[in-house]
Amino acid sequence: MLAYLIYSSSVAAGAQSGIEECKYQFAWDRWNCPERALQLSTHSSLRSANRETAFVHAISSAGVMYTLTRNCSLGDFDNCGCDDSRNGQRGGHGWLWGGCSDNVGFGEAISKQFVDALETGQDARAAMNLHNNEAGRKAVKGTMQRTCKCHGVSGSCTTQTCWLQLPEFREVGNYLKEKYHRALKVDLLRGAGNSAASRGAIAETFSSISRKELVHLEDSPDYCLENRTLGLPGTEGRECLKKGKNLSKWEKRSCKRLCGECGLAVEERKAEMVSSCNCKFHWCCAVKCEQCRKTVTKYFCVKKGIQRGRNESAGSRRKSLRLKKKH
Amino acid sequence: MAGAIIENMSTKKLVIVGVTLLLFQAFAFMVGGLIAPRPTTAAHYLATKCVDTVKHRQETKWFMPWGHNQCDKIRTFDEATAKKIEANNIVFAVHIPLPNKEMSPWFQFMLVILQFDIAFKMLNQIDEGAMVTIDVSLAYRDDSFSEWTEMAHSFEQRKLNCNFTTAKTFENEGRYYECDLLPFMEVGSVAHKYYLLNIRLPINERKKVNVGIGEIKDIRLVSIHQNGGFTKVWFAMKTFLTPSILIIMIWYWRRITLMTRPPVLLEKVILALGISMTFINIPVEWFSIGFNWTWMLLFGDIRQGIFYSMLLSFWIIFCGEHLMDQTERNRLSVYWKQVVPIVFGSFCLFIFDMCERGVQLTNPFYSIWASEVGTELAMAFIIVAGICACLYFLFLCFMVFQVFRNISGKRTSLPAMSKARRLHYEGLIFRFKFLMLVTLACAAMTVIFFIISQVNEGHWQWGEHTVQVNSAFFTGVYGMWNLYVFAIMFLYAPSHKRYGDDQSSGQCITGDAGANSGEDTQLTTTITHVDGPTKIYKMTGKEAQE
Repeated sequence: MLAYLIYSSSVAAGAQSGIEECKYQFAWDRWNCPERALQLSTHSSLRSANRETAFVHAISSAGVMYTLTRNCSLGDFDNCGCDDSRNGQRGGHGWLWGGCSDNVGFGEAISKQFVDALETGQDARAAMNLHNNEAGRKAVKGTMQRTCKCHGVSGSCTTQTCWLQLPEFREVGNYLKEKYHRALKVDLLRGAGNSAASRGAIAETFSSISRKELVHLEDSPDYCLENRTLGLPGTEGRECLKKGKNLSKWEKRSCKRLCGECGLAVEERKAEMVSSCNCKFHWCCAVKCEQCRKTVTKYFCVKKGIQRGRNESAGSRRKSLRLKKKH
Repeated sequence: MAGAIIENMSTKKLVIVGVTLLLFQAFAFMVGGLIAPRPTTAAHYLATKCVDTVKHRQETKWFMPWGHNQCDKIRTFDEATAKKIEANNIVFAVHIPLPNKEMSPWFQFMLVILQFDIAFKMLNQIDEGAMVTIDVSLAYRDDSFSEWTEMAHSFEQRKLNCNFTTAKTFENEGRYYECDLLPFMEVGSVAHKYYLLNIRLPINERKKVNVGIGEIKDIRLVSIHQNGGFTKVWFAMKTFLTPSILIIMIWYWRRITLMTRPPVLLEKVILALGISMTFINIPVEWFSIGFNWTWMLLFGDIRQGIFYSMLLSFWIIFCGEHLMDQTERNRLSVYWKQVVPIVFGSFCLFIFDMCERGVQLTNPFYSIWASEVGTELAMAFIIVAGICACLYFLFLCFMVFQVFRNISGKRTSLPAMSKARRLHYEGLIFRFKFLMLVTLACAAMTVIFFIISQVNEGHWQWGEHTVQVNSAFFTGVYGMWNLYVFAIMFLYAPSHKRYGDDQSSGQCITGDAGANSGEDTQLTTTITHVDGPTKIYKMTGKEAQE
């Protein structure tokens, strides 16, 4: 219980950062990682087991592991890094004899302890979630970069020390997005009872799949349409991207994907934006800026036939939109 | 040098010696691989962002990232913007080590690497060739309640070498630049238990200090220190090796002084090699446990440098003395062409080392690579040393080639020679080939293990056991060169066979054993009376050639 109190804020922050990353990764997809997806608890009877669920589980557990590792390096935890079971065996005095294991090992262990504890069931869904949690943690490890420093005689490379360092969390998100596209479907739901035999079959199936891969049991629903029972908002009203200089293929096709293929029309709205410009920045905090106005074009999905301009407000930091009606 | 032990030893004995040495060699590898932990540990730290609220401070205040008296922390800089905290009021605090741990003199050294997490912002990009100015102070204490004592305080400049790998668009704002590691700090002894680093990045718009360095999100540090376990194993090894080499050295020199002739150059060089090996072996590092001797790291470098240059000189002189071209050598001055690159190259490295580690004795944050001039100077020294090394190896290869050419020349004329001279030449050839083989094997082993330890992740899992490849490399190679020097001193010591010990079976002496001893005695006595073999054979050899 005490341990729970020490880590819980980090775990919560980690899960939140996972969801933020999820929102970023799916900003231009039909499913855009709505808040509801955060509910990882087992209580919800309508637990889905599709590709998106797999991603949410993976990114959340990755976020928890990432944040714990980071906070460990900050000195937030008393016992982090020195997992005495690994180094303490030989020599007996861990840190002094052979140093500690990486902080990431600690993050992994605690993340496992916390996130996996949410999964109490023993059915196929639980097994899938556990598998995807593990895939998320593997993603953090897989994207870590190995860095070396030479420090031999006169700084030569006769002696060098290497370590793994955490990437940006965005890297983990990108990695998991790739895995999301290549997620494997496992057909276990049909005739799945809770008998010992089927449990054995589930364990066997999941153990045969690489722990780096995401796994799902169901196909995804149609995210174009609003579905109140599933809590899906649909794509109507969503913003999409078009005609940008530095857009990726996926982003360029977003209007077609979100609007066109969902039977919606694309509406162009011109907005005058007041943004900061000619700023004098420091490396932190103080910013002195002038205000500039510029017109930006945005695209939204609307129902066919009611293509009119509507007042809409969108805002972000230091940005405010004033909308102009399209002629 | 004539009639070395190696020539007069029976094959059986030679094999026994070889196997014993190999056993010791295997033992040296095992000590490192199985007993010692990995040689160094890298510990990660993320600097805590403290807020310094006092405007004008009278005395240095220390900011603790955690524990008692911890500072006012902020998690992110967005928080600072909201609270109207300015960049000059931010102090990055790092406590080494992490909670519940303490540093120890067994760690021998500690070097710290700095990394900035700089977020990309379209409007606040890193300028070309941006320099970051760091106001850093280091303090220590030995228990967790006393005051911090300042150890060093410095303003340092480091060049930000960052590039942004993805497209520079608004969408990618907030992603981090990829920045090179910045060497930050190096201390040659870890005498205290707790260290505290306080880092500021002061801004001065007029002087363009810390302007255009992007938006710094975090400061990460990696501290590297030697593992206590490795240090203990290493000390134990040195303590064991010192007397072994010392004893064989004394034995060797006694043998030489027992002879009636003065020692020849090669014998002196072998002794010098032994002395430099002993110098490197003597475990003066034991003192670093009790005393705060920061110069130990530099001293270790110097000792290694002396040994390497001695070893290189030894190879050249050994080749030269086995050239068999009837030229009078036996003087160091003859080898000036080959020795000068060694001396000059090591001198360059010494100067470079003094510039880096020497200055670090007073300012642990100093890095020669931080300034433009320093980098050029350092590169110049290293390049000159590299050229010297190339020159040396050219000379060495040429000499080895010459020896082999002469050997094949001698081979054809061997049967026609008188027994004494034939034995002498055969002895020379065997001695040379043996050392050549052993040296090549040692060098190859060093290179192979070096590559393995570089390529490998550091340890091999071998069933239940973990083999620490890096540690095995260090102890193994160190043990190997010790054994090499040991073997040279033992096998190339003058033989005493002429004192009637008549059991020479002679693996290289193909003549019949009975007649052999008479001539052998004659040969060695002539040599002992004249200064080395060369004069006589200069004459006789020339006659033979004519």
